[in-house]
This record gives sequence, C-alpha cells and structure tokens, in this order.
Amino acid sequence: MPVRTPHFPDLLFGPAERLRRWEDALMGLLADHGYRELHPSLVLRDTVPDGALRFFDGDELVALRWDFTMALASLLARRFPEPPERVSYAGAVFRRPVQPWEAVERFEVGCERITTEGQSSTEADVELARLLMAIPGVLGLKSAILHMGNAALVRRPLEAEGLSPELAAEVVAALSRRAPHRVAQALEGHPSATRLSAHAQALLSELDGPASLAALSASPYAELLQEEVDHMDRALQALLPILPANLELRVDLADVAGLDFYTGPTLRLWAPGAQQELAAGGRYDRLFPGLGRPWKAAGFCVRLSRLLDLAETRPDLFEQP
Amino acid sequence: MNAPAILIAFPKGRLGDELVPLLAGTPLALDAQALKSRVLRIPTATPGVSALLLKGADLPRYVAAGVASLGIVGSDTLDEMDMDLLELADLGFGACRLSLCALAGLSLDELRAKPHLRLATKFPRATEAWLTREGLTAELVPLSSSAELAPLLGLADAIVDLVQTGGTLKAHGLVETAVLGRSSARLVAARGAYLSEPARIRPLADALIAALKG
Repeated sequence: MPVRTPHFPDLLFGPAERLRRWEDALMGLLADHGYRELHPSLVLRDTVPDGALRFFDGDELVALRWDFTMALASLLARRFPEPPERVSYAGAVFRRPVQPWEAVERFEVGCERITTEGQSSTEADVELARLLMAIPGVLGLKSAILHMGNAALVRRPLEAEGLSPELAAEVVAALSRRAPHRVAQALEGHPSATRLSAHAQALLSELDGPASLAALSASPYAELLQEEVDHMDRALQALLPILPANLELRVDLADVAGLDFYTGPTLRLWAPGAQQELAAGGRYDRLFPGLGRPWKAAGFCVRLSRLLDLAETRPDLFEQP
Repeated sequence: MNAPAILIAFPKGRLGDELVPLLAGTPLALDAQALKSRVLRIPTATPGVSALLLKGADLPRYVAAGVASLGIVGSDTLDEMDMDLLELADLGFGACRLSLCALAGLSLDELRAKPHLRLATKFPRATEAWLTREGLTAELVPLSSSAELAPLLGLADAIVDLVQTGGTLKAHGLVETAVLGRSSARLVAARGAYLSEPARIRPLADALIAALKG
C-alpha cells in the first residue's frame, strides 16, 4: 500500500474531524493515567538542527518545532528544578522528509515518563507499554502489532568491542537493512568480526512472539546482555496477561532505528499492511544528563499523520465510528 | 475488504533470465503462459501472490515505496541508490565483478598517469567511491547502456562496468584493469510490509531463499 502524503497537507472535513477526534481521545487516555499537557512553542530559538524548517526572524535564524521530545526536554530542563513525572503533548512538528512521500508537517500526540534517582525504570517502561497497547482500541484499529526491542542489544556489544564510530555506523546501517551479509562485509578483517557477525545472525534470526528472546542464547554476547534480556522478559511477563485480543506482541531483537538516541527498551506499533510504524518510542536515558539534569526518561509518540493516511488508503483496517 | 495481493518484483534482463528457471516447480513459479505474453504482472503458483517484471534500476523504488513487498535485484543497483529497504539475503547467483576496463595494452598505471582521465559508466556512485579510495580524480561520463563503445570511439579512456564472463569485453578489444567490487542478486523487502505483516511476508521470503540461494 503506497503512502500518498502531500508535504503540507490541507485536511478537509473528514480527516480534520478524525484528527480532532483522535487527538481528544488520546489526550483523554493520557490524562486518565496522570499525564499533564505541556505545549512548547512552535518556534525554536536555541538550537536549529539539520532537517528542521528554518527561517529568519529579523536577523535571527529560527526553526519550526521539529520534534516534541527535544523541545520538551529543553523546556523541562530550563524551567523545572524537579521534573513532572508524566507529561503529554499534542500538535504539529515540521521536519524535512527523508523519503519523498513523507509529509513535512506532521501531527503527533505523545507522552514522556520521567524518573529520578531511586525510581524504577522498569515500572515506567511497563506503564508506557500498557498505554501503547491501549492505543489501537482508542483509534478504532481492528488489529495491530506491537514490536518490542531494546537498543542496548546492539549498542552494548558495539561499545564492548570498541568499534570506531564509522565502523559502528556501518554495522548499524547493515542491521537496519536486516542484512547479515552486509554486517560480515563491513567487519571483514576486524578482530571482532566473527563474534559480531554471529551476534547479528542471532538478532536477525527471529521476529516472532516472546519466545524470540531465546535466540539471544546463541549470541557470543549472551552473558553481557543478560540484564537486558531479563528486563525484556519481566516486561513481557507483565504485558502478556493483559494483551488485548486484537494486538499481537512481537519481539524485534534487531530494532536499531534511532540507536543514537535510544538507550534501552523500544516499542513500535504497526497495523497489518501499513508501510510505516504508527507509533514509536522507548527509553532515552542520555537526553536529560546531556542537558545537565540527572533524570531518566522514556516516552512514545503516536504519528497521527500516518494514521490519517492509513484511514484514507486502508479504511478496512478501522472499525467504523 | 480482503488484504491486498502481495507483489514480488523480479528483474528483467540478465538476473531475470537466471532466476525464472530456478523458481520452476516452487510455490513461486511464474505462470508460463503469462511469461510468453507482454504483460508485466505475472501470476505465481501461489494464489494472491503475483510477480512484477521491472527494470533493475526501477525495482528498488517499487519495493521502498511498499508497492512490491519483496524483490530481487543486483547489489550493484542497490549500491547506486539510497533506498530505505531491507536486504534479507545475498542469493549468490548473478555474480559478477564491477571492473575498470580499458583497451588491451593500456595499463592501470597509464590510466592513473593521465592528466584528464575520463571514465564512462552507469555506476557513478561506486566509481566515485573507488576514485576516492585510490586518491584519483576523473571526469565521469554517464551512460545507461553499451558502455563498451565509449573507449573505442574516444568518448572515454576507460569504462567501469559489470563483467560476468568477459565475453563482451573481449569482443570489443577491452580488458579488465582493476576490480572495484563484486555484485550478486539480493533479496530485498519493503520495510513496512516485512515489519507489519511478518506472518505473510517471511514465509515468502524463506521460499525465495530456499529456491534461489545456491
């Protein structure tokens, strides 16, 4: 199913009504679980990253908000001596597309769960996964797939082997393509080639239910990653008994999207036949320390623009309101 | 509405000629009658799964956009394009070299020594990468076919092209002076289809690997 998003979509009556209804329903769900809305400015003046839509305000180069997580992190670090534990957001972000069919203006709803010293990250991760599991029902999706991964499964072995940033990027790109032969090619001649190639094979061997975690036992880094595996196992044990009938849970050991950002568990929501994930998130514990705050954080974002596309191209995937 | 049919993109030309016989007798065998016609969408032996016959250079775009869920394409084509797709397996067949080829008698050192080297190719990205590795500069002459003619007619000093048996080179009095890389057929998949419908797509990918990987 091809995606046909115009870069700056004008929403006519049907999609406009759907956007409003979905935003309200999702923000209601988040509010019911204690998440309070923050609304960072649409205009960024501090940092103007690549990929943002930039323009001059007088002599000053500014950018449109390109990502809520970054905008919120900056706001929270600047304005709050102690962080709020639960934050939600809704609105548009503007980002230059990587693929020609992606929109520049994108509508999102999401949340952040922030913890401080002594608070349990595992509980926060499970809380977010539970919320994400409720979202297909809120949106009226007939069925969905939730992929659970963990950025540390790739990050830690690469760090342990001391790969150069360039070589690590090549390995990650090959894993992102799910191409074990490219991993072996990239590592040719490196002392860790045999170990990391075997690890890549283990990561890519399964994309199935919770039993997929067992594939990691074949990895040379099984011991190094035991803590991550235990964490994922605990999360799965907490989530499986409450899994809605219309939701399939899969373990994606080779999820490397956003590996430079995520540090731990990752979650991605798909609908059968969708070409792009509909929601994504995970743990990113390096974000706030980078802004001078010793806080840990995780969150997810529901990509409403993609859902609007899907409702147009595959209405059969949704319950009729 | 039922789930849409699954489309698999197969290349026309050299790779396609090799893979069609390999698929015979498998669940993804192409309909022989349709193959003889001029249609470009061919039913397979599996209901609900059809093959698209596409030019290699167009094929990755169909897969990346999710129109086709799976595809088979040479790694030389993939390396020339920056497409977001999955590359599930090196199928091994269709193996060839990407080589620098010049008129017989002209050595690599003589080419290096040229003050203004002109290279004709339909693989500019791989050629530029090789030039960078070698610390050379050259004028690239973009061509889409029959590159062997370029050195003969003075359009370029040498060419960078795929070499399988070397027969075409020999027929034009050309020889390989350097091997830049190697290419083989790859099984590619649309990221979205693979991740959102693994139960439908993975068995087909496994069937293709079983039939085609030597």
